Amino acid sequence: MFAESSYVLPYPSAMPGSIFYKLNLIQEELLRFWYFGDFGQFKYNLAQSDKYLVEAKTLFDYKQHLLAYQALQKSDKYFKKIKPNLLSAKSNGKNTEDKEKLLREAAEKHIEELEKLKIVLPPAFEWKPEEQQSIILNFQEAIKNSIGARKVL
Amino acid sequence: MSIFILTLVLFSIFTYSFVDINLSYLKGLYTGLYLNNRFLLSAVYSILIFILFGFSYFLLSNIDRLKVNLKRIILLIVLATIFAYPAALTFDIFNYVTSARVTFLYQENPYIIYPIEFLDDPYLAFTRAANKTALYGPFWIFLTGIPYFAGLGNFILTLFSFKAFIALFYIGTVYFMRKLDKTAAFFFALNPLVIIESLVSSHNDIVMIFFALLSFYLFYRRKFVFSILSIVGSIFIKPATLFLFPIYLGMIKDRIIGKKINQEKAFRYSAIFMFVIFLLSPLREELYPWYASWFIVFTAFFHKNKFLQNLVLVFSLGLMLRYVPYMATGGYFGTTPIIRNIFMITPAFIFLLFTWLKKYFPSR
Repeated sequence: MFAESSYVLPYPSAMPGSIFYKLNLIQEELLRFWYFGDFGQFKYNLAQSDKYLVEAKTLFDYKQHLLAYQALQKSDKYFKKIKPNLLSAKSNGKNTEDKEKLLREAAEKHIEELEKLKIVLPPAFEWKPEEQQSIILNFQEAIKNSIGARKVL
Repeated sequence: MSIFILTLVLFSIFTYSFVDINLSYLKGLYTGLYLNNRFLLSAVYSILIFILFGFSYFLLSNIDRLKVNLKRIILLIVLATIFAYPAALTFDIFNYVTSARVTFLYQENPYIIYPIEFLDDPYLAFTRAANKTALYGPFWIFLTGIPYFAGLGNFILTLFSFKAFIALFYIGTVYFMRKLDKTAAFFFALNPLVIIESLVSSHNDIVMIFFALLSFYLFYRRKFVFSILSIVGSIFIKPATLFLFPIYLGMIKDRIIGKKINQEKAFRYSAIFMFVIFLLSPLREELYPWYASWFIVFTAFFHKNKFLQNLVLVFSLGLMLRYVPYMATGGYFGTTPIIRNIFMITPAFIFLLFTWLKKYFPSR
């Protein structure tokens, strides 16, 4: 049983392999510039982190382990950028109280989802690409790191 | 003419009855009249509006006889209204200031970040649409940098910088209209709706109109690139002028085939198209009185058509009366929307009935 956070994660968007996924990647890069400013970057990074966490969850459900693993890494990357955005906003004299609350709720929700994944996923997975050396994907380590990144808040 | 200007001065003074209780910067001018004496204010407003429209009609009917000097009257109109409180009838000017603040002070994208997200911002107390992102085009946001920085961070100075900045576009519009047709300039500049909405309430529609008209002017002067840039600028203030594109295509076609550009035809279709988009505006939100300036600027060129000019003037009067029900009751719902529409159409209806009766039952 997990504590239910009121924070709502987005619907899954296009998944790797779809033409729309490639378009989404372009859109993601363009939006990085559109979301300028401390609060803009806060929103952008949080939205991307949410999106990739949902993507990872969905891909794990479909046993697309390598792609899911990569999505989780991306979610972590974006999540780690959020706190510096808030610190920058604070140093620019902006009141960040509501954003800090939102980030805490988001972190809580992310951890909730990651804990669920920790139970259902194997500790590690051997990914064997064709004619290449196999790669060991350490899921437990990756999820532990993801949770850790979200607990530092 | 002096009574017209005097009424505008009185109207400007009257606007201070509406100083918002939350507007701490004008605390000394707060009277609470708009909360406690609604009927009195509605009556005063209606009287002033009727006087303004009456004298506007008189001036426009006697322009040649009175030898009205356009430059002089424009200067007097601007001076009479520039210091009016701009948020008496609508609060849009606060939205302009707040969007500029989000962009230039906080350096955030006003299309993503809501003003309400700046929790400590003192302007939130009186900004009505603080829960909305920027409502206008990027060219407008860019232009607001000028009055915003001219305000030097002082609210009062910023507010009146915005007013003065928008007034320049009213003057500019009249200037280019005068270059195209001097009498048309009078019919636009002396319409009380145009004056109140552009110079008292300082709506940015006049800025959009300025660039649209400048674009026509440049096209007629064969400066096509600048003309296109100007119409694009207008669209990027408010997209209503996008409806002028078919007229542009027609003019470009005429230019390509070597046909003489028919200025009158272009303005006729512009007036029709802008009137159509005006009528369609309730689909998006509601029929705001200041939207009428979109077509008035073009109908003014048909000043020889007395019926049309009088119809535009009485319809403008009806639109200005739309403010009365809310002013009197303080409510947007219930019977207010119905009464508002009745007030809007009644003057035009009476005028049309009167014209019809005059036509079919001429006095002997």
